[in-house]
Amino acid sequence: MRRVAVAGAGMTAFGEHFGLGIKDLLPMALSEMAATVDKGLDRDDIQAAWFGELTTSDGFPSGILADSCGLLDIPVTRVENACATGNDAVRNATYAVGSGAVDVALVIGADKVRESSSRGTFWEWAALTRDMAWDYPLGLVAPANFALHVARYLHESPATREHLAMVAVKNHRHALSNPKAQLRFEITVEQALAAPMVVAPFGLYDCTPQSDGAAALLLVAEDVVDRYTDRPVWVRGVGLGLDRVMHQHKADMTTFPPTVKAARAAYAMAGLGPDDIDVAEVHDCFTGVELISYEDLGFAERFGAYKLIENGVTSVGGAKPVNPSGGLKAKGHPPGATGVAQCVELFEQLRGESHNQVDGARNALAHNIGGPTAVSAITVLSADRG
Amino acid sequence: MRQLSAVGTYLPPWGTERARSLGRDEDAVTMSVAAGRAALGGPGAPVRRVVLVSRDLPLLEGGNGAALLAGLGLGGDVAVVEQIGGAPAALDAVATAERGTLVVAADEAPAGAAAVLVGEAGPAITAVSQVLRSMPVRARGRDGLVRDYADPRLERERGAGVAIDQLELPARPVAVAGLPARQAAALTEDRPPVLPTSGASSSLFALASLRGPGLVLAVEQGSATAVSVDGIPPTVRRDERGPQPEEARAVTPGPEIGISLAAYERAFEPKLRWEAACCTECGTLAFPPRYRCLGCGAEGRWTTASLPRTGEVYTAVTVHVPVPGLATPYSLAIVELDQVGVRALVPVTGAPAGTAAIGDRGRLVFRRMAVRTGIPDYGYALLPDSVAAGEETADDARGSSR
Repeated sequence: MRRVAVAGAGMTAFGEHFGLGIKDLLPMALSEMAATVDKGLDRDDIQAAWFGELTTSDGFPSGILADSCGLLDIPVTRVENACATGNDAVRNATYAVGSGAVDVALVIGADKVRESSSRGTFWEWAALTRDMAWDYPLGLVAPANFALHVARYLHESPATREHLAMVAVKNHRHALSNPKAQLRFEITVEQALAAPMVVAPFGLYDCTPQSDGAAALLLVAEDVVDRYTDRPVWVRGVGLGLDRVMHQHKADMTTFPPTVKAARAAYAMAGLGPDDIDVAEVHDCFTGVELISYEDLGFAERFGAYKLIENGVTSVGGAKPVNPSGGLKAKGHPPGATGVAQCVELFEQLRGESHNQVDGARNALAHNIGGPTAVSAITVLSADRG
Repeated sequence: MRQLSAVGTYLPPWGTERARSLGRDEDAVTMSVAAGRAALGGPGAPVRRVVLVSRDLPLLEGGNGAALLAGLGLGGDVAVVEQIGGAPAALDAVATAERGTLVVAADEAPAGAAAVLVGEAGPAITAVSQVLRSMPVRARGRDGLVRDYADPRLERERGAGVAIDQLELPARPVAVAGLPARQAAALTEDRPPVLPTSGASSSLFALASLRGPGLVLAVEQGSATAVSVDGIPPTVRRDERGPQPEEARAVTPGPEIGISLAAYERAFEPKLRWEAACCTECGTLAFPPRYRCLGCGAEGRWTTASLPRTGEVYTAVTVHVPVPGLATPYSLAIVELDQVGVRALVPVTGAPAGTAAIGDRGRLVFRRMAVRTGIPDYGYALLPDSVAAGEETADDARGSSR
C-alpha cells in the first residue's frame, strides 16, 4: 500500500450554530481546510470524497456534500459508524489513496445536533443505537449508556468521581486557547463535583455539550504530496474494532473491547506502540470514558488510569498529553465531525502550530468510541514518513 | 360446589397505610399479574380460564388478555374474560366460576389487586343474593372523565342502604367490600377487616381476610352481592410491602415514545414471559433470543427456557436529567441472573431512584416499561430485596399482618 499523507486540515468552530445549516457548514469546513494547504489546492484535483455524518438534517448526505461544495463530478460516499464515524471516514479514504485508486481524497465530517427540538433530540438519537423492542423504551439516554460502564469501573478500580472531575478540569483548561472550541472557560474540581447530576455518576461537567460543526482533511498519496506541501503529516495506521451491541452481552464493562481491537490494528499498521505516542485526542464524550480509554489504548495499566490524571501526565506539559484541543468535553461533539476534528488538531500538533502545542510531538493518535459502546475507530498520525 | 383453593394479593409499595398509590410503571394488568402469581404460587396450576374484573382496564381496544397470560405464565390457550365491574361483579365472578378459574380484580385508586383460584380444595363459596340498581353518583364514560355527583348521604341511604335491604340477608356479614370502614362496621357483628381498596379487588381482599365462615357482602353505588363462605381459604399469599411515600418526580412533556409493532410482536413472548433462547447444540442461553447462538454460532436451532427471577446488580445508573416524556429521576440496572450467566438491562422498581447499588440482590417483576403511542409496553423490572424484605407469605388466612 502507498503511504498516505494529510496535506490540509481545517474545521468550523464547534458550537450551537442555529444560524448555519449543514449546507453552510460543509463548504465552510472545506474552505478552512483548503486554506491550510501550503501550496494551494485546486479543488478539481479532488478525485473522491468520504463524508462522515451520523444523522441527516437536510436529506441525502452524499448529494448534500457534492451539491453544497461544488463537487458534482466525483464519487461521494457517506460513512456512518456511530460516534466512530469521523475516524472511520479517515480510514476509508486512507485505503482508497493507499490502494492507488485515487491520489487526492477529501475526508469531511459534519453533524447538526442542535437542529431538532431539544425534546425530540433525546429520542431521535436514542433510536440510532437501541434495540427498538428491548432497550429503547427504558429511557437509556446517551449519558446512561456510558454511565453503566463508568459506574462499574468506579466500583472495580481505585478511581473516584474526583478523578472524573479532574478530566473535566483538564479538558476545559486545554480548550481555553482553542478558537474553535465550544466551552472556553475554566472550571474547578469543586465546581464539577457540585454541578447538577445528569446521570449518576456523571454531573453536568462530566458530559460533552451538544454541538454543530464540520471538519475536513485532504489526504494525498506520497507520489503527489510534493505538489501540496513540504511538511505533510503521515497517516501511519488506521484501525476499527467492534463489540456486541447490547450492554447485557458485554462481559466486562470496565473496558471497551472495540478500542483494544482498533488500537491493536492501528498500532500494528503504524509499526508504533502506545509508548511512541506523544499526543492523543481521546473520545471523552463523558469524563470516565477518557479514563477507561487510557487503559484500552495502552497508556496506563489496568485500573491505573487515575494515576495519570492525578499526576498531570495527560495535561499539556505532562508526559502523555491527551486532548490538547479540549476534547469532546470542551471543544464540542458533532459526532460525524468529531473524529475528523481530532485529526485537524493533531495535524497542527505534528506541524508544531497548535494553539496548545505539545513540544516536540512526532506521533499522535485519534480515538473514537460509540454505538453505544460497540465500535471504535483509531487513526495514528506521524510527522515521520515511516 | 365452588371452592376457594388459594388467594393472592398485591399492593404497590407507594402511598400511605390508608391508600396505596399506583406506581408509574404499574397498571391493572401488572397488578393483576402480581396478585395472580401470588395466588398460583408457582408454575403448573391447573388454570383453564382467567376472569379479570376491573374498571381500569388499560386498553379498551387492543386487548389486555395476552399480556396477562404471559405475565401469569399461563398458556395462550387459556380463555380470558375481561370484565368491567366493581366489588359486586368480582364477588359474583368468584361465586359463579367453574373450577380451574383464576378470578383477578384490580383497582388503580386506591391501588391494589387480588386473585382467587377456584379449585377442588378449600372452603365452599355459594351465591346468596344480589341486586342490581342504578345510582351513578360516580360516572365514567368513553371519554374517560369521572363525573362525581358528590352527595354521599344520597349514595349511602338510597344507594347502598336500599340495595342491602333488598338482599334480605339471612345473617349479618363478616366482611364488607366497597364501603368505607365505618359504614362496613355498622353492618357487621364484630369489627370487619379493613380493606385496602374499594373497587373490584376489595371483595377478593375481603375473601383473603376471612377469619372464619360467614357472609361476605360487596357493594357498589346502588348494587350489592352477598355470598356465603364456609371456612377460610387454605392458602393466602400476599405480595405486599411498604408503604413508603411516593417519590417526588418531575415529568417533562415530550413527544410520544414511538413503537414498532413488528418489533413488539417478535419480542412479546420472551419479553413478557421472561424466557431466553436455549441453543439445542450447545445449551447457551441468549437473552434476548437471537437467531445465531452467542456460544457456538449455530443458527436457528433453539428452544425457549424460563429465566430465573432473582439476581444481583452488576451495574446501575440513575437518570436525573429531564427526559422528555418520562418522569425523572429513575434508575436502570444490569442484573446478573442467578446461576445462568445471563444479564438483563432493566429498570429499577419499588425503590427510590438511586438506592439500588452494585451487588444488591432483588427479584425480577412484571411491570410496564413505557406507554408507546398509547400502547402499554410490558417487561420486567428489578425489585431490590432491601425493599422486598417486608414481603409476606402466609399459608393461613390469619397471616394478614398488613
